[in-house]
Amino acid sequence: MSDTGRILEIAELSVARSGAADLDRFSLALDAGESVVVLGEAGSGKEALIRVLGGFADRTDQISGTIRFGNAEARPAAKRPRPSIRIAYLASPLAQPFVGHVGVLGQLSRVVARKLGSPLASAREELRLALERLVGAPPLAVLNEKPGTLDPVSMAWGLLACACAQTPDLMLADHPFADLGPNAVRTLLTALAAEQKRLGFALLYTTEGLQPAGRLGGRVVVIRDGKVVEEGPAARLASGHAHAYTRTLFKALPQLSLDEPRGRSAARGQPLLQVYGLDLVAGSRREGLTFELRRGASLALVGEEGSGRRELARAVLGLDHAPAGRVVFDAVDLNILSQPMTSRLRRRIAFITGADDALDPRMTLWDTVDEPLRAHLKLSGDLVAGYREAALKRVGLASHDGRRTVATLSAFDKRRLQVARAIVGAPLLAVVDEPLRGLDAFAQTIMREVLTDFRTHQGPAFLVITSDFTVAQALAEEVMVFKDKKIVERGPIVDVLRSPKEAVTRDLIAAVTLPGLSQSPPSV
Amino acid sequence: MSATESASQTAPFLRAALRLIGWSGLGLIAVAVALSDFLAHFPAGVGGVGPMLAAPSALHAFGTDLLGRDVLSETLHGLSVTVVRAFLGALVAIAVGGLFGAVAARLPRVMGLTLRGAMGVLAAIPALLLAILAIGLSARLYAPLAAGLAAAPLAFVRAHDRVDALSRSTHAEYARATGISASTLLRRDLTYEFRDTLATVAARALAAVTIILSTVSFLGFGATPPARDLGLMIAAARANYLHAWWTAAFPALALVVLILCARLAADLDEGERP
Repeated sequence: MSDTGRILEIAELSVARSGAADLDRFSLALDAGESVVVLGEAGSGKEALIRVLGGFADRTDQISGTIRFGNAEARPAAKRPRPSIRIAYLASPLAQPFVGHVGVLGQLSRVVARKLGSPLASAREELRLALERLVGAPPLAVLNEKPGTLDPVSMAWGLLACACAQTPDLMLADHPFADLGPNAVRTLLTALAAEQKRLGFALLYTTEGLQPAGRLGGRVVVIRDGKVVEEGPAARLASGHAHAYTRTLFKALPQLSLDEPRGRSAARGQPLLQVYGLDLVAGSRREGLTFELRRGASLALVGEEGSGRRELARAVLGLDHAPAGRVVFDAVDLNILSQPMTSRLRRRIAFITGADDALDPRMTLWDTVDEPLRAHLKLSGDLVAGYREAALKRVGLASHDGRRTVATLSAFDKRRLQVARAIVGAPLLAVVDEPLRGLDAFAQTIMREVLTDFRTHQGPAFLVITSDFTVAQALAEEVMVFKDKKIVERGPIVDVLRSPKEAVTRDLIAAVTLPGLSQSPPSV
Repeated sequence: MSATESASQTAPFLRAALRLIGWSGLGLIAVAVALSDFLAHFPAGVGGVGPMLAAPSALHAFGTDLLGRDVLSETLHGLSVTVVRAFLGALVAIAVGGLFGAVAARLPRVMGLTLRGAMGVLAAIPALLLAILAIGLSARLYAPLAAGLAAAPLAFVRAHDRVDALSRSTHAEYARATGISASTLLRRDLTYEFRDTLATVAARALAAVTIILSTVSFLGFGATPPARDLGLMIAAARANYLHAWWTAAFPALALVVLILCARLAADLDEGERP
């Protein structure tokens, strides 16, 4: 490590590919023990920065500027000077960093062994010790699985332990905990911050979300189109005394409101969806789930991954058959109808999900929106085009070339296209499953607005599945909190926020409450 | 750009170039077939137009055969017969195999898998044997139909597996959950698969059926004179091949070019090699 404490100094770093600038005269200095969060949208230049620092720049990248690691001389970035310090790379488990046919533990041990130059057994022991030091991490034995059978959160713990076991001088964190659920992200970030304090390494953390900016402290560098917009502590950037672009990004900051919802009345119409004694665990003797959702009402199913909320939604949608119980939609029991009759009823259900493969990649943008209209109604071409145009305008896709296939669209465009498809179907019920997953802060803000607009203008009942209480509050008025495939708490969201009764609820609320940045409910 | 990325970007370009060569070749062959009566100097099967077994010369560019027939003219006529019969056979393979395979994938799962299993067993039998068996049960006249049926099991299996994977995809599952009927989904699959893969499937079937038909004719179970296809021409040249190589080499070259072009047009897919 450097004697002066300076770990990394980047001066005037520019990266261009095919003539387009990915990064434009980027400068940054990082001292030992310091954290810098590089915050920006997808394609803002963070990727180019990590590419150059990590030493995996493309041959076609045109790189200029200098980089200095530790006490070494500043060298041209194009030649990527061999670092005189130890650098650990922390990848996202969703970026598929592992080989599929070998156990995760073995792969992580090999990385540690190579970095430390130690035998494999000793590296494995280092990994075990690193994992034990991380508060909330699973035991080492959990990592003895192949990547396909291991959940992303456990993989993230393994990757974090692997990076810490290398006792680095500098850690490059490349969106490591994106899309893992707020509670898991909170625990992982807290553990990372604790390890950084203990080991004193410098941390460069790139992210599209705001959780790391709020939890890691240190400087936040806001980057857009390869240029630094501004930098400073997260609290200042979130305070409103910031650049207009930064303010837009921070609009997506999780904010829980303790005010009563306005505009949406609690009085609602007839029951639309009734679930009786639905059991998600085969052969269990416990009481099944029972609840109802009235026309135009909204209900959020909140819980961690594996808590049962998604299984419940799949049973409601008819994607899976629950071992026991009844699902009644619009006064008709879906389980006793024939397939064609069920199809007729399901026309009034829309499904908007954070999965990117929810739309047929072969279809064009126009065909995707037209299909529900053509499949269910006998409309003229002009009418179909009219409805399509209106829906695409509502979600902000009207200017896109309608002959583009879904495969060529970005995740954000695909998500909005799902809403446009839902809009033309005029659904009675919209099932919304983690709608903001995988989107950057800017896209999250717009997506919230698009969904809110959809609900306000068309008034379908909303069944929202999420692990994020802020999403739940933005789209629903009532909440059911899930744990171990059971409902542990339910009620109006504001009441639950004011006085959460269960520990799991408190954890979920704390996960989206960023100290010093967002409003925190009194109970947390 | 990384080496892997560079390779992955070059490969599609190379594949596109090879496909273009394949389709251009098939186009030229189609023109030659359409104009075969005009391009050939002599009508099909007319003997004594030159000396017996004359070597290639200015008068007879491909030489003559044992009966004094012009090999160039005979090769053009043989190519025409081969292409027309292979085209009919390929239509049968696509219609019987591809279409039924796609529909079978939409049947109730047990029924679809049973059919898939049965066709899988048939696909494991060499297509040549199936074609000879089908000809034996019918007549030589139906050789194109027999070759098409022999290539159909593999087409069935491929179509079934593709449509089955599509029907179990996440987007199809979500579409069903929102009331999109099975018939709409089938129509969607047929539309896009027809648009995206029909040309490839047709070229692949053409290559497979050409090989089957030519081999069957070579063995004496296929085309009958006077309608001689390339396989039959090569078989007829066997007796003279050692001292009059042109009698077999030029028809064989035409056959190789036809199959190669079809294979290139089909993206060098080896899936239906008989």
